[in-house]
Amino acid sequence: MEGISEHGIAAKVIPFDLDAPFLLFPVRHHSPACSYHLLKAIELYSPDVVLIEGPENANELIPVLTDGRTVLPAAFYYYYKDKKKYISEAAEDYKCYYPFLYSSPEYNALKAAAARGIPARFIDLPYSEILINTTKSKGLLKNDKQSYADDSRLVRGQFYKRLCEKTGIRSFEEFWEKYFEIEGLYKSTEEFVRAMHTYCALTRSGTKREELTADATLVREQHMAYNITEAMKTYKKTLIVTGGFHSPGLYELLQQGGIKPVKLHSVPAGCTGCFPAAYSYEAADALHGYASGMSFPFFYDSIFKLIREQQTPKGAYNSVTLDMLARCAKECKSKELPVAISDVTAALSLMQGLAPMRNVHECGFYELYDGVLSCFIKGERSLSSSIPLDILKRIATGDGVGHIGDTAHTPPLIADFEEKCEGFKLKYHSAVPQEKDIALFKSPRELEISRFMHRMDLLDTGFAQRLKGADLHSGRDKSRVHELWSYRRSPQVDSLLIDHTADGFTIEEACANIAAGRLRAERRCEGAAKTAVDCFLCGIELPEVSSSINRVLSGDGDLLSIGKGLYYFDMLYNLSRLYGYDSSASFSYLESCFDRLSDSLTELINVPDEQAGECIDILKRLYGLCDTLFSDRRDTLYAALCEMSQARDKNPAVLGAVMGLMYAFESKNQYIAEDAMRGYLGGSVEVKKQGAQYLRGLFSTARDIVFADNDFLRMTDKLIVSMGHEDFMEILPGMRLAFSGFTPQEIHRAAGAVASMYGTGGDSLLYKKAIDEGLFGFGSRLDKELAACLERKKQ
Amino acid sequence: MQQFIKPPVEVRYKEELDALKNADDGRKPQNWVLSPKAVRTFILGGEAHTSDGVRAISRKFYGNDALVERAVITLAGSRGLMLVGEPGTAKTMLSELLCAAICGNSTNTVQGTAGITEDMIKYSWNYALLLAKGPCREALVPSPLLIGMEKGIIARFEEITRTPAEIQDSLISVMSDQILNIPELGDEGLVLARPGFNIIGTANTRDKGVNEMSGALKRRFNFETVEPVKDVRLEKEIIVREAQDLARAGQIDAPIDTNVAELLAVTYHELREGMTAAGTVVQKPNAVMSTAEAVSVYFQTISHAWYLGGGRVDLSVLTESLLGAVCKENKDDLDKLKSYFRVAVKEKSREGGLWKEYLNTASLLR
Repeated sequence: MEGISEHGIAAKVIPFDLDAPFLLFPVRHHSPACSYHLLKAIELYSPDVVLIEGPENANELIPVLTDGRTVLPAAFYYYYKDKKKYISEAAEDYKCYYPFLYSSPEYNALKAAAARGIPARFIDLPYSEILINTTKSKGLLKNDKQSYADDSRLVRGQFYKRLCEKTGIRSFEEFWEKYFEIEGLYKSTEEFVRAMHTYCALTRSGTKREELTADATLVREQHMAYNITEAMKTYKKTLIVTGGFHSPGLYELLQQGGIKPVKLHSVPAGCTGCFPAAYSYEAADALHGYASGMSFPFFYDSIFKLIREQQTPKGAYNSVTLDMLARCAKECKSKELPVAISDVTAALSLMQGLAPMRNVHECGFYELYDGVLSCFIKGERSLSSSIPLDILKRIATGDGVGHIGDTAHTPPLIADFEEKCEGFKLKYHSAVPQEKDIALFKSPRELEISRFMHRMDLLDTGFAQRLKGADLHSGRDKSRVHELWSYRRSPQVDSLLIDHTADGFTIEEACANIAAGRLRAERRCEGAAKTAVDCFLCGIELPEVSSSINRVLSGDGDLLSIGKGLYYFDMLYNLSRLYGYDSSASFSYLESCFDRLSDSLTELINVPDEQAGECIDILKRLYGLCDTLFSDRRDTLYAALCEMSQARDKNPAVLGAVMGLMYAFESKNQYIAEDAMRGYLGGSVEVKKQGAQYLRGLFSTARDIVFADNDFLRMTDKLIVSMGHEDFMEILPGMRLAFSGFTPQEIHRAAGAVASMYGTGGDSLLYKKAIDEGLFGFGSRLDKELAACLERKKQ
Repeated sequence: MQQFIKPPVEVRYKEELDALKNADDGRKPQNWVLSPKAVRTFILGGEAHTSDGVRAISRKFYGNDALVERAVITLAGSRGLMLVGEPGTAKTMLSELLCAAICGNSTNTVQGTAGITEDMIKYSWNYALLLAKGPCREALVPSPLLIGMEKGIIARFEEITRTPAEIQDSLISVMSDQILNIPELGDEGLVLARPGFNIIGTANTRDKGVNEMSGALKRRFNFETVEPVKDVRLEKEIIVREAQDLARAGQIDAPIDTNVAELLAVTYHELREGMTAAGTVVQKPNAVMSTAEAVSVYFQTISHAWYLGGGRVDLSVLTESLLGAVCKENKDDLDKLKSYFRVAVKEKSREGGLWKEYLNTASLLR
C-alpha cells in the first residue's frame, strides 16, 4: 500500500480535509477496516448530515434497519415490475438486495448518525431508475446480479492481477485483506482514506467511459452529486459515504458544480418498492449467491464486533483467527477427522510465523487457511482429504440468518411465515438445512405442519423439500403415514414470499389465490385435478375453487385427460376422511368425470395402440366405481360397453378389455368374446397378431374367463401354434404382458389345463428322466464316428 | 563447478546465497544461515541489497509461492516437512533449495528404497574399527539423520514412502523427543538434536510400490502437496531454463528454440489436463506427464540436434522422444497419444507453422 500511496496520482486524489463543507469517504461493502475508519472520521469531522450510497426509495426504512431489535444480516429488498416496458418489451420483473452486516460501513454510518441525532439518508437513484438507465446485460441487469452492493469493479481489468503478481499474492481477496483490512487498521484514518482513494482512482482509470455509461455509473453519480449539492445548501458539513469507485467521479462533479437533476420516469404505483428482509451470511459471501461484498462475511463481522468490543483494532485478527482455528479443530474432531491438539498448536505456530514473513501485523484469514492446510491435512491434498478446509470456509462464511425487529415493516407473508415457524417450532433462524419428520395422522398439529410445508412448496420458495412420504401426484407410496421434510431458510425464501405478497397476506391465502389462478387458466381436466391434489395437500378446501373445476370438467374434450381426473378425484374422495376433509366436493367432481366418460365412452374404442393401456385403466376404474359408489349407473355403463363392442374400428386391446367387462356384467357374454377371438384366429398373420393384443385387453379385465371351459386357452394355444417363429417372437412380449396379471396359482392352473390338452400333466411337465451319463457319452462318440465316416466317404 | 554433472545447490547458487547472507538483517531461527524472508527470496526470486549494490536473485521454484512460505515456516518449527505429489513436480528440487538456503547443505540425504534398513537411517558401524577398538565414537558411522541432529542442520529423506512402514516408524522417536540413543556407547550414547535440525521428506503418490505412512509418523509432519505447474507459460519457462542448464552442463552450445519449448509445454499441459486450450476433451495417458519429463524430452531433442542434426532441432526427433516418454508402461497410451495428434495437433495445425510440421510427424507414432 505504501507503494500505491507514493504513486504520482496520490497527489491528485481527493483531499481529506476535516474543515471542508463535504468529506468523501470511500468504502468497500462489508469491510471492517472501512467501518473502523469511517467511525473515526465521523468523530473527527463531526458532520451535520450523512449521505450514503443506496437507492433513495429505502429512506423511510432506515429506522427499521437501525432498530435495536433488528439482527443482522439483513437487507433491503427492492423490486421493480417493468409494466411500462421501459427496460424491454418483455415487461419483466426485477429484484435486488442491499445487504447489511455489522461490518458494513453503510450500516455503521446509519447507526452513528442515529446516535448523534443527525440525519442520514440514501442518495442514489431509485432502483427502477438504475435499471432503466442500464444497458442490457450490464450492471444490475446482468443475470446473476441481484445485489446492489457489488464490488466486482474493484477487481475488474488487469490492474489487480498485476498487483497480485507483483506482490506474490494468490488472489485479490488476499491482497485486500493484507493491505487494506489488516494493515489499514494500523494506519491513521487520513492515510487509510488516501490509500483507498488511490486504489479506487487507479481501478477507475482503467475503466472506459462507455462502460461507466452502460452500467449507469455516470447517471447515478450525477444524481448523487445533485443530492449532495442540495444537502449542502442546508447543512454546513456533509459526510458522503459511497463505494470507493464512485469517489473520483463524485469529486469531479462537485468540483465542476452546476449539476442538473436526473429526470425520473413515471413508474405506476405498486410497480416498485422496497421491504426490509432477513438475510444470511451465506448469501452475503462474495463467493456465493449474489457476489456482493467480501468473502467469508462471518469472519470479518467477527473482527469488527471484536474491534468495537475491545475499543482497539490491535489483536483482533489474532484473536478471531485463533478462535476460528479452535472451532475448525473441534468440528473436525466431531467428524472423526484425525486432528490432535498438537496439530492445532502447529497450525497456530505456522500462522504466527507466516504473518511476519508476509510483512503483515497479524494473522489474517489466509494465514489461518495456510495453517489448516499444512497441519490438518495428512497426506496428499485431494477432494476427500480437504474436508478441514471446507469446514474452515463454512465457519468463516457463517450460517446465521438475520431478523427484522420492527414487525410493522415486515412484509405480511414473511410475518405469517415466521409466526407459523414459531408455532410449529421449526428452526428457521439457521441457514443449515434441517429435517422434520411428520407423523401425518398422529395429531391435527402434525397435519397442519405438513400442510404448511406443502404450501411453501406450492409457493415455490425452495424452503421445504419432501424427502419421504406419500406422493399423491404420481400415486407412489400412497399408504405412507409419515413425511420427512428437509427445510432451510435462505434469503431467496424471503424474496419469493415478498413476491407473493400480491397473492395474499397469509401463506394460506396466497396459496388459495395461486391455486384459484391456476384453475382459472386451466383448460384440461388432468391439470385441474392435479391442482385439486395440491389444494388437498395444502389444506385448501375444494369448494373454494369449485366453479373453476366444474368449468374445466365441462369444457375438456380429451377423454384421457378426464380419465386422469377420474383417477385423482377418486383418490381424493377415498383419502378425504383420513385427511379430515368433507368428501362431498371430490365426490361431485368424481361423479362429473364418471358421467362425462360414460356418455362418450365409444370414442375410446379406436384409440391408437400407445393409448390403449390408459384406456383400459379408465374402463377398469369405471367398472370399479359401478361396484361401489355408482351402482345406480351400472346399466348406463353396460350399455356404453355394448355400444363400444359394436363399433366399426376397434383397438383390439381396448375391445378385449370391453369384452372382459361385459363378461363381468353378464357371464353369457363369454360367447361373444369367444366369437371375437375366433375372428382374429381366422384372419391373416397380421390379424392374428391383433388377436394377441385382444387377449391382453381381455385378460386385464376378466382373468377368470380363461378358466371357463378352457376355450380361451385352446384359442390361445391355436394362435401360438399357427404362427411362425418370427411372428411368435413379435407377439411374445404382448402375450407375456397379457398373463402378467395372473396370480401364481392361476398360472399353475392354466399350465395344468394346457398340459392336459396335450395328454400330459403333473410332474412330467416340469421334469424329464435324466439320461445316463455313459449312454450320453456313447451317443456322442457314435455321432463323431458317423460324421467321420461320412466325411471319408465324401472324399 | 563445470567439473560436475550436477553440482549441489549451495555450490551452484553460491553467489546468490552469499549476497543474501550479506544483505540479510531479518530474524533467524537458531543455526539458520539465512532468515526465513531471505530463504523465501532465494527460492522465489527478488533482490538482495548488499553493500556492493543490488543483486538480482533468480526465481527457482514456480507455481505456488504460499507453499514455499509455509514450507519455510514449518522448518522453523518443531515439525518436519513432508512434500508429497506426483513424480516430476520438483519436490526434490524444492527440498534441496530449502536445505541449501537454511543450512548451506543440501546433500545430507537418506535415499528411501524398499531395501533400506534401520541402521541406514540411524547409525551403523565401521566393523574393522569396532573389532579393533570396541563400540566407540570413532567406530560409529553416523547416518545423515544423526549428522543433522549433531550439526543442527536439515536431513533430507527422499522417497520416504518407498521405505517399509516399520523402518519409516524409526523416525517417530527422533522427531518426538529430538533424541537418538546409541546404547552401545553407554553414557555417551545419548545424542540430543541441536537447534536447526529438522527433516524434509518427499513422497510420491503415483508410483507403484509405495508404503502408506503410519498415523503416528504423519502427525510429526506438516504436509505440502506439490502440484504440477498449471500455467503453460510458466511450464515453458521452466523447460527453457532447465534445458539451458542441462545444455550448459553438457557443453552443448545450441540456442534454445522457445517455440519448440512452447509446443512441448502445450502438449504436456493438455495431455495432463485432458483438455485442449480450445476446450476439446482429449484422453489422458496413464504415464506421468510431469514438467521434468518434458524437460528430459526437450533436452534429448536438442542433444540430437547438437550431435547428429547439425544444430537444427528436428520435430520428428521430438515426437520420437515424446513417444518414448509417454508409452512406457501402458500400451493404451500409444493410442491416446495418436488420438491427441489426430484431434488437438490437427486442430492447431490449421494455423500452419510449427504445429503443421508437428502433425506431419504423427506417422512416427507406432
